[in-house]
Amino acid sequence: MKRTLDTGNAAITEGAIIAGCRLFAGYPITPATEIAENMSRRLPQVGGYYLQAEDELAALHICVGASLGGLKAMTATSGPGYILYADPYGWAIGSEIPVVIVNAQRVGPVSGITGAPGQGEFYLSRYPTQGGNFETIVLAPNSVQEAFTLTVEAFYLAERFRTPVTLLADQLVTDGWETLIIPETEEEIQAMGLKVIPRRINEGPEFYPATDEIDIPPVVLGHNTGAACSDWTPTAEGYDTEEVEWQHKHAYRLIYKIRNHKDLITRYESYFLEDDPEVILVSYGSPSRVVKSAVKAAREKGLKVGGLRLISLWPFPDEIFTKTAKYLSVELNYDGQLVREVQRAMPKGSEVHFMGKCGELPTVAELMELIEALIKGQPLKAKPWEMEAW
Amino acid sequence: MDYLATKYLRPRKIPSTACSGCGLGQIHKKVVKAIDELGLDVGDVVWGTGIGCAGRQTFATWKGDNFAGTHGRVYALATGLRIALPPNKKIILTVGDGDAFGIGFNHLLNCARRNVDLTVIVCDNLGYMSTGGQYGWTTPEGYRTDSSPYGMWEPNWMQGGRDVLNILREAGATFLARHTSIEGQEAVESIKKAILNKGFSLVHMPYPCVTNFAERALGSRRPAVMYKWFKERTVKLNERVDEKALGDIYFRTGIYYDASNSRPEFAEALRNRVAEIQRRFR
Repeated sequence: MKRTLDTGNAAITEGAIIAGCRLFAGYPITPATEIAENMSRRLPQVGGYYLQAEDELAALHICVGASLGGLKAMTATSGPGYILYADPYGWAIGSEIPVVIVNAQRVGPVSGITGAPGQGEFYLSRYPTQGGNFETIVLAPNSVQEAFTLTVEAFYLAERFRTPVTLLADQLVTDGWETLIIPETEEEIQAMGLKVIPRRINEGPEFYPATDEIDIPPVVLGHNTGAACSDWTPTAEGYDTEEVEWQHKHAYRLIYKIRNHKDLITRYESYFLEDDPEVILVSYGSPSRVVKSAVKAAREKGLKVGGLRLISLWPFPDEIFTKTAKYLSVELNYDGQLVREVQRAMPKGSEVHFMGKCGELPTVAELMELIEALIKGQPLKAKPWEMEAW
Repeated sequence: MDYLATKYLRPRKIPSTACSGCGLGQIHKKVVKAIDELGLDVGDVVWGTGIGCAGRQTFATWKGDNFAGTHGRVYALATGLRIALPPNKKIILTVGDGDAFGIGFNHLLNCARRNVDLTVIVCDNLGYMSTGGQYGWTTPEGYRTDSSPYGMWEPNWMQGGRDVLNILREAGATFLARHTSIEGQEAVESIKKAILNKGFSLVHMPYPCVTNFAERALGSRRPAVMYKWFKERTVKLNERVDEKALGDIYFRTGIYYDASNSRPEFAEALRNRVAEIQRRFR
């Protein structure tokens, strides 16, 4: 094992290389630029290719094209680039091409503040393209080490489910410096519980079977398999069709290959849920670290508080919301995104409250104030982040 | 069935889904003929397309491997594919004028700059005909379409001293030609050269659309009217004609620029560079 002090950006780079990524195409954007820079240095050393694209549309298309040719590929960006991925993201979903996409979220619509963390693309990562009729897989690390492991897992899931996987990080995770442990041998990779599968090649003639099965090799061109893949609704052989029946089959596959194997994707962490806490804090990404400290501090004060940290965001892990409680969703946005899903997933008789921060983390003191108010049944103080309507 | 079709195309996609009278089949056949005359096999070519008439009608016609990209982005997709595929596999793209010279122009120019080994056949029906007939970036000045009911007034990429091929040449393309679909073997020969160039090649091929373009622009869906219009405007590069006498667009045909194999090909250069860096780090 190699033990270093490094950034989330470096962790993602090394995770990708261990997962077998051999092509990266990106476009410079804060705070994901360092992933591109690291890739430009590291990939050639392992026989991989780095490309700087003319824009993000091209960046993800190049990755998808490379994956279509059999190379594992990744791109990385932040919000303004992630929205430009919409076009190739949809192509990769529809044509079922494995690819990994990193989004180091920053705050605000459009360019916002380039160097401040945000969590504004929670829903965008669920619906990253038009048309509907699909599920997405999204993972959210909250540390440098987890950025590493989840990158490896993102590639693993992308291959098994033949779909793009988004690693939804935030600026604090990607720019932050922490201890990073990198496995150096096959045994060490296995010891860390990481799995890597090589690219397989679909031999046809059914490239798009109407089934929810996973582990079907993706289309790889250049092997004269007679593959056909396109942006149009495919028949099983990949021919473009206008028949609604095939659209039904395609939609079924894109939705249920993920929904019916959700157990392979769902990852979360829970703490202090055993004694049915009155208040449960829900979070993901970097704020979840402050939340954990706040929950611990509340417990030390004897307050019955628990925590749920989501590691996989989509498909949304409804089934982990088993406790009837007052939920408090802590997010890095003011509009409240995760809170809506918590409201939908929580058992009857529960309440959901929202605490949003914009461009900065909440403090333990701020969270304690809210926890105490919720336990006492007091109304939450009116603050910009507070949305009583929930 | 034609021997070329039997050898290279899928029976399921024959007859073509294009409108009767469409000139696209003339281009399609020339491309397949060029492939055949070069002695290439089904497995030697990966065929890609874009969106629009040219994309939809030629997608998955090839017996081998096929792909169709999103509108205008197939050049970026093919760049990634080019890096992943063995260098001896030919990537041939049949795309439309809107795809190449409109929505995808940025990506096309960047492919030319990089000199990515692709053969791009731009099947140009002079506008957006798949969506019913709106003007595009090669629609001749003054001609009516559904979105230029008073005549095409926007400057196009073809007239007023502009030529889209000049832009591509400046961008770094290493083989450029133009032929209308009504031309014969000379077009096939150009396509062969385009395929043989290990670099970015583009053949611009205007073709007649009788259903939408001719109906609006020429007032007739009779193929003879549209084909006559094309014939009058198909002029060899070195042919001397009185352009003012016609007072209209000319399609100057022939090889515009042949710098085949004169610049490093992008994917090959990238592979070599990576191999060299790897050697240094071993």
